[in-house]
Amino acid sequence: MATVLGRLLGIAFLACFVTGILSHYLQEPLQWMVFATRPVWLYQISQAIHITAGILCFPLILGKLHVIYPSLFQTPPVRSIGHFLERGSIALLVAASLVQITIGLLNTYQLYFLFPFPFRQTHWALSFVVMAALAIHIGVKLPIIARYWRKKDSYDDDGTVIPLDDATDRSQNPERPEGATIPDLREPETTGVTGRLFRWIDRAPLADVSAGQARTSRRGFLATIGVAATALFVTTGGQSFRALDATNLFGPRKQGVGPNALPVNRTAQAAGVEESAMAPDWTLTVSNGETSRVFTRAELEALPQFEVDLPIACVEGWSQVASWKGPRMKDLADAVGAPVSAAFRATSLEQKGNYAVMEMGPEYVRDELTLVALELNGAPLDIQHGYPARMIAPARPGVLQTKWLSTLEVIA
Amino acid sequence: MTMDSPRMIRAWQVAFIALGVLLLGLGGLVLLDVVKPERYPGILLWLGGAIILHDLIIAPLVFGVGLLMRRASKRIPLGVLMIVQGAILVGAVTSLIVLPQVLGKERVSARNETVLPLDYAGNLVLFYVVLAALTALAIVVYLRVLAKRQNTRPSRSQT
Repeated sequence: MATVLGRLLGIAFLACFVTGILSHYLQEPLQWMVFATRPVWLYQISQAIHITAGILCFPLILGKLHVIYPSLFQTPPVRSIGHFLERGSIALLVAASLVQITIGLLNTYQLYFLFPFPFRQTHWALSFVVMAALAIHIGVKLPIIARYWRKKDSYDDDGTVIPLDDATDRSQNPERPEGATIPDLREPETTGVTGRLFRWIDRAPLADVSAGQARTSRRGFLATIGVAATALFVTTGGQSFRALDATNLFGPRKQGVGPNALPVNRTAQAAGVEESAMAPDWTLTVSNGETSRVFTRAELEALPQFEVDLPIACVEGWSQVASWKGPRMKDLADAVGAPVSAAFRATSLEQKGNYAVMEMGPEYVRDELTLVALELNGAPLDIQHGYPARMIAPARPGVLQTKWLSTLEVIA
Repeated sequence: MTMDSPRMIRAWQVAFIALGVLLLGLGGLVLLDVVKPERYPGILLWLGGAIILHDLIIAPLVFGVGLLMRRASKRIPLGVLMIVQGAILVGAVTSLIVLPQVLGKERVSARNETVLPLDYAGNLVLFYVVLAALTALAIVVYLRVLAKRQNTRPSRSQT
């Protein structure tokens, strides 16, 4: 059973890790990196998978820990250096995984003031620790995993789980050199008070447990984990999947809730732009070395306007498709004679914050869908969504869709 | 998959463990690189706290409840017991996810009303009600099926 749950958990961890790496490098690209701008929902789906799989890890990991809980009390606690390292790696795996999914969840609730450490950096570093401890764990347990991988090898004719020592005997390879010993993979029986307690628990009420009952019990447990995972998916998935909006009971975001019918990640108050964004003399400066053009909002409105439907997809996992209108980024780039291969740096009115300055590769600058948006869902941008002007590009994290734009400059 | 030969398993074991050690080193380097040293105690505190919270509080609690219910199982059919136990676990896991929202809503929404915009406490109660109703329904269906089965094959014990 631990194999069954472990397998699902492994898949969920891997999904989180891969989508997490994508999200990380989108935000902090290495010099040589170029990103796909299609499909436009690439980041939306990637981050939805990240957060959904992360939430589903809760029932899976709790179920898995429940199954293996008795082996926490094995005696003697440490049998050898190898055994000590193995137990240490499991402790690290359990601790790092629990912290990883917990801080991930709390971050989507914007409860990050609870952490005595920076979220993004810690989440990033811990992701390697989790995958490392997981790889070690899989390595150590591989004989057991391989043994119980397929259902038909795991049960005898009555549906009873075949104990591991029989299993090892059966899978003996005839080519094995003479005299090689089969390592005893069984956990030693727990002794002492806890051992007696566990035997009492196991014996007392279910002394006459039949194979069928044990099977029912196993299936019932897996069904419970399945129901819990489904319930969480149905009640939280609505924050990123439109189809689940009606059953969105526990999503930290609700589609359509917010100014311009769209949720907000960072508010104008938090960014400290309430005055500067509303200033009547606001302008957007676009520059390419010595060449530079200054646009008022009216002048931006006078440029050819385009309307695009693009999702805004937050690193926190929620996303929503919205309708944006404004001039194309590439037209502004052309207005200052920027070369086709030029990358741009966008600066926000925001004085402090990690995303006040954003860099954008030519794949986004030259994309026809990338706009300097002035309107959102049929109305002028709300200040919470970046009035007077904000960037919107396909397949990028929301934190890079810079709001309250002040300057756009070619990166030399 | 040719996982059956012990030699192959050994090779894969070494590969996995080597990968793990490599990743662990990488994780350590990343941590040193991106997190300031004065924050390390906080991370250690949370890692240790997670183990303590789970292994010393949550797990014994779940084990205790399971134990009590198994003691009661002499009188209650195993299937019914499992349905109830399952429902309690589903409710507990969901509560674990939703409680931070209930507790944090006021503070978070004051800063940004589009975060945690829903009535999480009310929705949780609604969830419990639906869960209880579905559980009751499942028990009724289970008992009916059980009765029918025992009528047709009275010699077979319930499974």
